[in-house]
Amino acid sequence: MNEINNSILTLILLLPLAGALLVLLVPDRAKLPNWIALFTTLATFGLTLHLPAHFDKTQTGFHFVVNLQWIEKPAIFYHLGVDGLSLWLVVLVGLLAPIGVVASWNIIRERRKVFFALFLVQQTAMLGVFLSLDLILYYGFWELSLVPMAILIAMYGRKDGPRAALKFFLFTFIPSAPLLVAILWLYAKTGSFDFATLQLWIASGALPAGALWWVALTFLFAFSVKVPVFPLHGWLADTFSEAPVALAMVVAGKLGLYSMLRFHIGLFPAQARIVAPVLVGLAVVGILYGACLALVQRDFWRLMAFAALSHLSLITLGIYGLSLTGWEGAVYQILNHGVVDGALFLLLGLLYDRYRTSEINTYGGLAAKLPRTATFFVFASLAMIGLPMLGGFVGEFMILLGTFTGVSKGWAIVATLGVILGAAYMLWLVQRLFFGPESKLATSKPPDDLHVGQLAILWPLAALMLVMGLAPMLWLSTIQTGVHPPPRPRQAVTTQYPVFLQGGCAAAMYEAPQLVATPELAAKCESMEEGQR
Amino acid sequence: MNPVPDIYRILPEIILTLTGVLVMLLDASLPLRWARRPLGWVAAFGTTFALWASLWQISLPMGTGFSGTVETSAFTVFFHVLICGLVLVALLLSLDTLPEDSHHQGEFYALIVFGAVGMCLLTGAVELLLVFIALEISSIATYVLVGYRKNTARGPEAAIKYFLLGSFATAFLLYGIALIFGATGTTEIYEIARLAPTAPNHSLILAGLGLMLVGILFKVSAAPFHVWTPDVYEGAPSPVVALISTAPKAAAFALLLRVVYEMLPTLRQVWSPLLWVVAVLSMTVGNLAALRQTNVKRMLAYSSIAHAGYLLAAFAGLGNDGVMAACFYIAAYAAMNVGVFAVVTLASGYDEKLPQIDNFRGLIYRSPLLGSLLIFFLASLVGIPFTGGFFGKLTTFSTAISGGAIWLVIIGLLNSGLAAAYYLRLALAAAQRPSGENVAAFAPRVGIAVGAALLLAVAATLVLGIVPGDVLRAAEAGAHTLQAPPAESGEPGNAVELPTQP
Amino acid sequence: MHLILFLVFAGFCLAGAINLLLQSHPINSALSLIVVMVSLAVLYLLLGAEFLAAAQVIVYAGAIMVLFTFVIMLLNASREERTLGSHAALSVGLPAVVAILAIIATVILHTQGLGVARLSDGITSTEELSAVLFTKLLLPFEVTSVLILIAILGAVALAGHDARDPDPHENRERTGEK
Repeated sequence: MNEINNSILTLILLLPLAGALLVLLVPDRAKLPNWIALFTTLATFGLTLHLPAHFDKTQTGFHFVVNLQWIEKPAIFYHLGVDGLSLWLVVLVGLLAPIGVVASWNIIRERRKVFFALFLVQQTAMLGVFLSLDLILYYGFWELSLVPMAILIAMYGRKDGPRAALKFFLFTFIPSAPLLVAILWLYAKTGSFDFATLQLWIASGALPAGALWWVALTFLFAFSVKVPVFPLHGWLADTFSEAPVALAMVVAGKLGLYSMLRFHIGLFPAQARIVAPVLVGLAVVGILYGACLALVQRDFWRLMAFAALSHLSLITLGIYGLSLTGWEGAVYQILNHGVVDGALFLLLGLLYDRYRTSEINTYGGLAAKLPRTATFFVFASLAMIGLPMLGGFVGEFMILLGTFTGVSKGWAIVATLGVILGAAYMLWLVQRLFFGPESKLATSKPPDDLHVGQLAILWPLAALMLVMGLAPMLWLSTIQTGVHPPPRPRQAVTTQYPVFLQGGCAAAMYEAPQLVATPELAAKCESMEEGQR
Repeated sequence: MNPVPDIYRILPEIILTLTGVLVMLLDASLPLRWARRPLGWVAAFGTTFALWASLWQISLPMGTGFSGTVETSAFTVFFHVLICGLVLVALLLSLDTLPEDSHHQGEFYALIVFGAVGMCLLTGAVELLLVFIALEISSIATYVLVGYRKNTARGPEAAIKYFLLGSFATAFLLYGIALIFGATGTTEIYEIARLAPTAPNHSLILAGLGLMLVGILFKVSAAPFHVWTPDVYEGAPSPVVALISTAPKAAAFALLLRVVYEMLPTLRQVWSPLLWVVAVLSMTVGNLAALRQTNVKRMLAYSSIAHAGYLLAAFAGLGNDGVMAACFYIAAYAAMNVGVFAVVTLASGYDEKLPQIDNFRGLIYRSPLLGSLLIFFLASLVGIPFTGGFFGKLTTFSTAISGGAIWLVIIGLLNSGLAAAYYLRLALAAAQRPSGENVAAFAPRVGIAVGAALLLAVAATLVLGIVPGDVLRAAEAGAHTLQAPPAESGEPGNAVELPTQP
Repeated sequence: MHLILFLVFAGFCLAGAINLLLQSHPINSALSLIVVMVSLAVLYLLLGAEFLAAAQVIVYAGAIMVLFTFVIMLLNASREERTLGSHAALSVGLPAVVAILAIIATVILHTQGLGVARLSDGITSTEELSAVLFTKLLLPFEVTSVLILIAILGAVALAGHDARDPDPHENRERTGEK
């Protein structure tokens, strides 16, 4: 068992890559690439389930750690680990991968090898982002995730793929250039790319504060574009309307949001606190702006894009509310958003593939023809708008609660308004697509409802949404270990910064200034400060 | 006395020279109607042998031979192996892509091999006279190779342009050497390093250094000495461009490292800001100009100018770190650049009927292998992680930051973001669905030799990106030997003395 | 005597260089360049640097100029059209030339210890030079043979006819130069 625990993360990381190689090697015949991709992603998902099964909830910090030297100079380590923060996100990536394969099953008709190989590489890159604890390794996967995405958008774009791909790539690549500068600067000052070591250094106050401020800002900027946060969302709508379904469901959100929690707030708690009010404001603007624009979209991909902007802004609000409840809610909402979006995109992808249009007005009255599609779509929409008993409710409620108690009542009320708008556009979308008078489009094709394969994906997803709404503690109990401070604070470290923890994010900055860390960390920190003097 | 026979010190060069002579003689003696292609194999075999010989040289104790004119050390071995590898790839590439009935195929291979002699010698020379002659050998070989497509208008134009500007640059180098000789009374690099700090005519050394830098920076096509690059790359046959955009540049960078880090390390406060400016200029000019190109080879020419700029950023690094990063970046750059030109050669053919970016549209549909490789190499040039390009940039910029040049790094990385735009344009064109008329365009075939060349380039790019440890260690070992004074070898060679020195 | 010779050949040298620039026919320019090279060789001789003079003639007036002339002939270059030249050349080139000349002149004028060299000093005669060339500078000297070989090879490759040309007979006048 121990051996599996030691190598499980490496296995999870490399399995999709091996699948990609296999896809490249076999002939492109009889959907062989599809099957290989499906098996690989299912196997990866199975492996990711090992993590929550053997996760020790009583321990904070990182589990299943692998730490090997990769390169001596510059000192880069192959350092992987999960904690409560990233655990379920890894599982989410694992879950969405087979959904993506099923969603692309019939849609991708040519160059299947290229598609599925790149799709699997993309999986590795995303898993790598969540698992890496070495900043260069992390940066590597972060950048790597852009390439398959850009190529696939260019190759399989619906109308103007290359332009959208270029826009997507430049929007996300250029901000990561300063990110690399910042990482290299940290290395030049500390000689380490290691997450925990850097946390210690930054918290020790040994680094020049002015430069550190810029470094933190650079991190934040790169992540904000990727999320995206309100004024930086220029790439989102084009990417959503061009990207293949399987990629559109993963392109936005979780990578950036996780990075904000782990690498911005986690590394730079003091700087994050200064900048948090700005982000709270932007997030609230984003919620309303996204919701309003979603209301007036005529194209359902673009509608989904602005809906995503609205939802992701809500999560950003939860993160930069800097409250424990908000963080838990944010992580939970990332999970929920991933699941719901997966289902919605799968269904919309099928509709688009059948009717070759994303104009909402041309649809209508499909419910009679495609009852199962309509049912699942309505269900997922309800989960998305936060109906109690379904997953969306818990996350949104926790975020809003955190904002209400932790930040300000005004922001929370405005954000709630955005949530109500969200209900409006989603329900209106459902109404226009599935109900009303039967459109020409609906009668133009013979009814062809969901098949067994799609149902096999959608039923579990629907069940998952329900369970996530009914029994959130199944997830929250683990998420808390990554967000909360350890139960008993033991030793003070420094008076300058409120808190930092090994693993998880620096917590409880709005709570009493408890100064906590494990003893060995404190000792290490002190010796480091000695060294500085 | 020196325990190592002098001949061992230049073993790779000797093997290369013999190979060149053999190819030339065989070419002249074979009947006319026989194919000349086997000569390419002879040349490739000889180069492999030379590569092996350079690897063997690492077992020699570090030191100089031939009265202190040529050195073997980890540094020279690093560059010898790199150059021999590049020449090998270029030869394999030419084997399959030179048209069967092309003129003077035998001389083509011989010239490449002789050029390699010059480049190898350039990296090993510790005597400025030898440096000059080696540089001329490699230059003249490349001048001729550039003009090999005589029946096109651009070929001879490129050759002439390259020749004229190149000679001009070499003249600057020579003038610089003369001034430094005037100031120190010797042309031996180690002697100069010893005498320069106390030499009476400090301004003479400064002027000499400046002129030498002009000559060398021309060879590495750094701005503002870059104007020849796009025209030459466009006019020269693609396999030749694969060679000249990598191997002579690697040799010239080796020389630059030697000159600044070994010969005049004491003038750091002079050359460091100079190279800073040149680095920033090269990156910016190269990338901005590349954005506007529609011809693939011109675009890649400007991209290589930009890469020279990134590489020069390593010179902001201190001591060993700077040399190590520069060595590593040269290797990474060479691997990916030779690869991308190999793909371009295959995709647009020797005669280049399809030189525009638009012609690459749908390459991945016409030839999945070439299309994927093109995207792979372009990704490496962009600096996507897990490719050589990423680690090159990482080490370079990381040493530059340690050297305190934070603005250089910011400019550099913003530039590399900018550069992504034009690389992406080509990559996305290749990934795009082909438009109607392009489907009928020819589907390139990949022969054994070219296959081997591509495999070498891909393997090198991946190794440098995923497990760069060994190469980094080799580069570091090279950096150490560059800094250290050479082991005493026989009598101190200072036979040439300036009579005017009291 | 030395002064007169110096003035004469320095004059030749400069005149050749100027002529080179002014001539409109490339071949004339190339020939003027040879004049420059040879006059320089004479100047070296005047300084007592016999070997240098010989090298100048062999390498420059020989190998490189031969290649150059071949290229020009290959191009069938005829009388060139006079253009006004680009603005860049005038606006950047001229100041650059002036600046470089000024810097070099300043450096040389400020250098001490120049102009005290006497002709009999140091290693200037062929005999002494050859001693150096065959001991200390053996390798550079030997490597020069590769340089010349390449020059010949290149000239042949560039000037020879293409195999794809209609006339195949002139194709094989290559020799196994050695």
